[in-house]
Amino acid sequence: MDAYAEDAPQDAEGHPVVGSVGHDVPVELVWAAGARSVRLRGHPAWDRTRSATYLGSGLDVATASLFAGILHGAFGHLDAIVVSSDCDASQRLYYVMREIRRVEPEIGLPPVYLTDMLHLPRESTARYNVRRLEQFRQMLRTWFRVDPLDRLGEATALSARIVSLQRQFVSVARSEVLRVTGEQALAVFGAAQRLEPRRYAELLAALLAVLPGMPALEAPRLFLTGSSHDRPDVYRQIEEAGWLISGEDHDQGQLALQRRFPEDTPATAELLEVLARVYRDNGPTPQRASIERRARHTAEAAKHARADLILSYVRDRDDAPLWDYAAQQRQVDVPMVLARNQHYSALDTDAMRRALSTPGRTGASA
Amino acid sequence: MTSSARPARTDRLRSARRALKHQREWFVELHERARAGERIALVNADTPHELLRAFDVPYVVNQWWASIAASQGGAQRYLDLVAMEGYPRDSEQYNAIGLGSLFDPDPATAPWGGLPKPFLILGELTGDVSGKVFEAWATDPDITFFPLESAAEPLVADANWWDTLSTDWERLTGPDRIDLMVAEMHELIALLEATTGKKFDPAKLARIMDLGNEQADWNRRTRDLLAKTTPCPVAINDSIPAVMIPQWHRGTEWARDAARRLFEEVQARIDVGYALAEPERYRLMWIGRGLWFDLNFYRHFEQTYGAVFVWSMYLSIAADGYARRGSNHLRALASRFIGFHEHLYVPPMSAEWYVNQALTHGVDGVVHLVSDDPRGSWATTRALRAAGVPVLEMHADNADESTYDVQAFRQTVADWLDGEVTTSLGARGRRWEHRR
Repeated sequence: MDAYAEDAPQDAEGHPVVGSVGHDVPVELVWAAGARSVRLRGHPAWDRTRSATYLGSGLDVATASLFAGILHGAFGHLDAIVVSSDCDASQRLYYVMREIRRVEPEIGLPPVYLTDMLHLPRESTARYNVRRLEQFRQMLRTWFRVDPLDRLGEATALSARIVSLQRQFVSVARSEVLRVTGEQALAVFGAAQRLEPRRYAELLAALLAVLPGMPALEAPRLFLTGSSHDRPDVYRQIEEAGWLISGEDHDQGQLALQRRFPEDTPATAELLEVLARVYRDNGPTPQRASIERRARHTAEAAKHARADLILSYVRDRDDAPLWDYAAQQRQVDVPMVLARNQHYSALDTDAMRRALSTPGRTGASA
Repeated sequence: MTSSARPARTDRLRSARRALKHQREWFVELHERARAGERIALVNADTPHELLRAFDVPYVVNQWWASIAASQGGAQRYLDLVAMEGYPRDSEQYNAIGLGSLFDPDPATAPWGGLPKPFLILGELTGDVSGKVFEAWATDPDITFFPLESAAEPLVADANWWDTLSTDWERLTGPDRIDLMVAEMHELIALLEATTGKKFDPAKLARIMDLGNEQADWNRRTRDLLAKTTPCPVAINDSIPAVMIPQWHRGTEWARDAARRLFEEVQARIDVGYALAEPERYRLMWIGRGLWFDLNFYRHFEQTYGAVFVWSMYLSIAADGYARRGSNHLRALASRFIGFHEHLYVPPMSAEWYVNQALTHGVDGVVHLVSDDPRGSWATTRALRAAGVPVLEMHADNADESTYDVQAFRQTVADWLDGEVTTSLGARGRRWEHRR
C-alpha cells in the first residue's frame, strides 16, 4: 500500500478539487466555482526530508509534513492549491511552491495561489480583503471557466448553515453535558474541511437528531489551547489518560464557530464585502490575533467548556502560542499548564505526565 | 589551510567612526530629551519612520537597539528579563531583545544607559510573533502599539525589480497594498496629531522624502563603486555602521551628507589603491543579518585568509530598495516599506537580486546566514548555485549567541574556503595568485 495515499480525496461527480492550506481560504468562492475544497493536512509518518530541503527547519512541522504529502502526491490529483496567509508557515509554503513552479516545473505542482486575508479590526483591512477576494474570484474564473459570483450567495448561505449546525452541535454535545469525546468532536469539525459541504450539512443534521439520546460522559475536563491539531493523536493520548477534552480553541476545531455571517443572505453586490469581514474577523488564532484577544477568547471558551484544567500544547517552531501563554494564564480561572517543544501530532509522555499532574508552572520559558 | 595573508589594515573608515560618534551623541541627547519629558517612539525597521520625523518625534529603531545590546553583551540580560515576564526566551530574539528594556529594573547599568521608555511602538505584523512582541510593550499603560498590516502579493510583478523600482514602484509593489498602508498611515497621522498637538505638514514630508532619495542615490554610487573595485577597500565592519546609522536618520541633511562622505571616502581609498587585505584571496558576499555578537568574525577572515566580504545587504538594499520618485509622497513612502521583506526574503525577487549582486560584485563565494525566522533560504542558495556561485549556509541566530560556537563556526567557513571556493576558483581559472 502507498503510505502517502491515505489522504487522496475522491470526488465521484468529477468536480475539480482544490487543495486548501490554512484557516483563511475563502472556501465559499471555491464552492461557488463548482469545485470541491479539501483542506490539506500532514501525517506524522510521512518522510519530511525532501520537504525540509525547501522549507528549511524554522517553521511548524505540521506544514512541513503537509508539504511532504504534496510532494509525494498523497492528495491525489489536485486542480489547484490555494494557500492562506493564516500563519507564517503557510505563507512560506506558498512562496516555495510558487518558486518551485518557476524553477523546477518538472516536479509538476498544480497552480498555486495565495489568498491574503488580513485581520486587524480596521475598515482599511476589510477594504483590502475585498480586493483580494475579487482577485481570487478572477483566478477561479480563469481556472474553472465559471464566475463564482453567480453562485456565491448560495455558497455563503451554505457556509452560514454549517456554522449554525456546528453551534447546535456544541450546544447539545459540548457544554454542560458532554456527549462526545474531544476526539469525536475534532472529527466532526475536521469533516467540514474535507467533505462536500451539502453532504456534510446533511450528516451533521442527522447527528444532531440522535445526539440528545447519547449518554453523558463523565471524566475530568480539559480545555486544549495552543497549536492546532489536524490529526487526533494528541486528543487520543490525553483522553486515554483519563481526561475528556471538553473544548479547544484551535483552527481545526471550535474556532470554526467564530465565523459570523449576517442573518439574512446578502445581495450579490454585497457578498464580497460580507466575506471580507467574515475573514477579517476569522479566528482568533495564535498566529494572527493579538495576545489580548486570544487570552480573552481562551478564558471565555474554557469557562463555557467547564474545564478543570487548561493545557497549552505547543509544537516545536510554532512560537505564537508561547507569547499568548502568560496573558492566558492571567485571565483564566482554572489551573493552566504548558507543554512546549512538542513533536507533530504527539504529546511526549514526560510532558503529559508533568502537565496533567502538576498544574501551576508559569512562564513560556519554563 | 591558506593563512599567510598579511595583517589587514586596521584603520577604520572615518565615515564609520563619525557615524558611531554621532550615534553615541544622539543617544545621549535622546536620554536628555526623554528626561525633559519629550515623547520617544520605538519603531521596527520596516515602518514609515518618515512620518515620525515629519512630526519631530525622535525614534529608536528596534533592530538597531538589538544590535547595540547584542554587541555590548546585553542580549542575554534582556532575554532573561523577557522570560521573567512569562514570555519565551528563545523566540524571535532579534525583535524581543528590545522588549527586555521595558522590564529592566536597573537601566543605568544596561548598554548605553538603556532605552528611554517610548510612548509609541510602531511595528508591522510580519510573521506570527513580531506583532505579539510589540503588543507586549503595550502592557505598560503609558505605551501605545500601532500595528501595520504585513500584506502579501500573490503574483509576481517583476522578478528583476532593482533597476526600475525607484520610479516604477506603483506597479512593482501593487496598488492594493499601497492603498492599505496609506489608509493606515492616515490613522497614524491622526494619532500623531492628537499626541503632539501638531498638524501634519505634507511639504515637510516632501523634503524628508527628497533627502531620503538623495541618500539612497549616494549609497547606490558607493555600492556600484565597490562592486567593480578589486581589491576591496572597505571592511564590512565599517560599511555596515557607515550605512546603517545614517539609514536610521534617513530624511535628515546629516544622513544625506554622511552617505555622500562615505562615497567620497571610498573613492579616495580606491584612488590611492588601498587594499583591505593583501593579497586579497577570496572575494565574498555575506547574505543575512550581521553577526552582531561576533563582529570580529569578518576581521578574522580578512586577516587570516585574505577573505574580504565585499557585499552585505545593508549597503545594497540601501542602494536599491529605498529610493522612490514621485509627487504622491504618502504612496511613495508606503511602497518603500511594503517591498523590503520580499526584496530580501521572498523569491523570485530576493533570489534574483542576490544572484545579480553576486555577479556584479564578482564574488568567489557566498556565506549565507540562515536564522529561523527569515524566509527563502532554499531559493536564494539554489539560485546562486545555479549561477555557479559557491554557497555556504550557516545556521545561527544573529543576535543570540547562546548557541553559537565561535571556533566551530569559523572552522566551517575556513574549510569551505579551502575546499569548495578554492576548487571553484581553480576551475574557473581565477586562482587568487593570478587575479591582480
